[in-house]
Amino acid sequence: MKTKYLAGLAGFAIVFSMAAPAAALDMEAIKASIAEHQKLPTFTPPGEPFDAKSCMAGKKAMVVPFSSAVEFTGGVATRMTEIAKEIGFQYDHYQTQGQPSQWIQGINQAITQRYDLVDVLMSDPRVLAPQAMQADQAGLKIVAAHASGFDTPAPAPFQNVHIDYTQAGRLMAQWAILKTEGRANVLAIVAEDSFSANSLQNGIKEVMAECEECKVQYLNVPVTDWATRMQSTVQSALLRDPSINYILPIYDGMAQFVVPAVELTQSADRVKIATFNGSPYVLQLVQQGEVEMDIGESIDWVAHAIVDAEMRMLCGLPPVKDPKVPLYIFDASNAHTAGTPPQISTGYGDAYLSGYRKLWGLQ
Amino acid sequence: MSEAVTASPSSAGENPRHGRRRFLLQLERFALLIAWLLIIAVFGFIAPETFLTWPNFSTIFGSQAVLVILTLGLIIPLTAGDIDLSIAQVLTLSSMVIAVLNVGHGWPIGAAIAAAIAVGLLTGLLNAFFTLYFRIHSLIVTLGTGTFLHGVTLWISSSRTIGGIDWGLVNATILTRFLGIPLAFYYALALALLLLYVFEFTSLGRKALFVGRGREVARLSGIPVTRMRLICFLASGVFASIAGVLYAGTSGSADPNSGTQLMLPAFAAAYLGATTISPGRFNPLGSMIAVYLLVTGITGLSILGIDTFVQDLFYGGALVIAVALSQLVRGREESLT
Repeated sequence: MKTKYLAGLAGFAIVFSMAAPAAALDMEAIKASIAEHQKLPTFTPPGEPFDAKSCMAGKKAMVVPFSSAVEFTGGVATRMTEIAKEIGFQYDHYQTQGQPSQWIQGINQAITQRYDLVDVLMSDPRVLAPQAMQADQAGLKIVAAHASGFDTPAPAPFQNVHIDYTQAGRLMAQWAILKTEGRANVLAIVAEDSFSANSLQNGIKEVMAECEECKVQYLNVPVTDWATRMQSTVQSALLRDPSINYILPIYDGMAQFVVPAVELTQSADRVKIATFNGSPYVLQLVQQGEVEMDIGESIDWVAHAIVDAEMRMLCGLPPVKDPKVPLYIFDASNAHTAGTPPQISTGYGDAYLSGYRKLWGLQ
Repeated sequence: MSEAVTASPSSAGENPRHGRRRFLLQLERFALLIAWLLIIAVFGFIAPETFLTWPNFSTIFGSQAVLVILTLGLIIPLTAGDIDLSIAQVLTLSSMVIAVLNVGHGWPIGAAIAAAIAVGLLTGLLNAFFTLYFRIHSLIVTLGTGTFLHGVTLWISSSRTIGGIDWGLVNATILTRFLGIPLAFYYALALALLLLYVFEFTSLGRKALFVGRGREVARLSGIPVTRMRLICFLASGVFASIAGVLYAGTSGSADPNSGTQLMLPAFAAAYLGATTISPGRFNPLGSMIAVYLLVTGITGLSILGIDTFVQDLFYGGALVIAVALSQLVRGREESLT
């Protein structure tokens, strides 16, 4: 009571619980959904085949990642340039180190050097809205790839290459419900300063709302505070509610701070961790049993999907609504397929490699 | 020097005015400790069933060892009048060196730790060389070396988080407990006591303090100023690399960026710690109390479900208040002398 009063007085309370009223829980559907994402991914074409080489002749594009030094954004950007080279057009990677001034410089360079398309590969493209307007007015296509889910597109003039973040959120929540047989008490850790967090959170909310005996708390820890705040905040949450049985860090980069929090509060026996991204070091934690499940997306597959969607934009083809990038569940049963130690883009199969090349008329 | 100042009023104990001053001085010495106890009391009153529990306190003690050791490393050059902005980068690089050598190259964990400590020592040497030989301000030198080290960290890690560090290190850091508290806490405590001993009971510590208070005066008094500053830079590097070892041992992994975010909390704790135990001086026990005061406040706020941005208000506010209090102490000393 005292706690509630103080928190209300301060007006700062953000952690809230939902003992969700709701629709009946369909455990069979949940089981089927999880099983579907545990199958090795197959390639589904995101659109009609086209002759990529001839329609991209003479066109050039540039990718400005959040940071070339970040494994995901830097890795995807590098692969995109390699894929473009294989197809036969110019795709440049503007190297950055996470500084807005560099992003702006990159976009300006794309405008002045008359590129056809510039892709800002970052967690929140909205910070570049003025530059996007300038690029749009200069006739460039400005793309915010991998930034948003289907339900929260980046605002115009950005064009989107969506990822099904909402589904990733759903899968995390479904996993917790399935494993607890409908009695999940979830601590979902979100980073609201990241654009895709909305979709992930929406997915978790949607599923948890169907579970009458479940509880969920949302804890917002901004990306810049992960190293200094995440561990202590999670520890406090675990101590405050000893009945929490699942932690869902919406990005697996959070795991390195969540795992020690679970260990230090001596909660490892009752609290499991399910997360999203498929970073190699977290897959290693899955192999070690510290993290129970990690939903992965292949960096190489993502790079192919983005290049495909952007080529269609430049070639005047119908836009890609769903790039069909698979979400693949890694748990103790298949984490070894990612390699020992796990490697980037490993364990997802190679169906997409020939699939995209056939789609682009290269094979 | 400040000890000489604080000792003088006590020698005139019979005068009631001096007695009151002595009381106020003692009150000032322990003000932060009292503030810490008050914070515990307030949160304990609000959420007794969660906050006033041994698991909560063991978690608080066990989870902040890295920050404590980093802060201890920071106060060494600060005492000698230098500032080390590369300290968080040394921590990050040291943890990455362990990950790269242990996971990537199969080195035994002991050898990897030794290499990480050597990184700290070398960085201290580098900082000292540019600061002392070229007479460049330590702030500029360490800013540069810190940025350079970050580049090295990204380079050797290929900008990736590396997991899979020998679980023995994790066991020796957070999984093994004594009295319910992870061993990491006792490492930090031991280093704090060691530093306390050096600062308070050895000529080395006293000389460092003299150098920090007035280089020219120290030089004229025959103190080897350059050597003292060199030793402080080396010690700072070693402490930072030890913090890096524990950082790697806390999660069993190393990432190239997150450790750098510990810089502000370490500075906040160092300055806050300088307002207690030996007011006006950077001191190990004060720093340790400051770290735990800050984290107790933050834990309490978290337990109440307060948004994380309030933690920034708490940290930032504590830093400003600490500097203001230090200034107050310095002003009082000047007026007394």
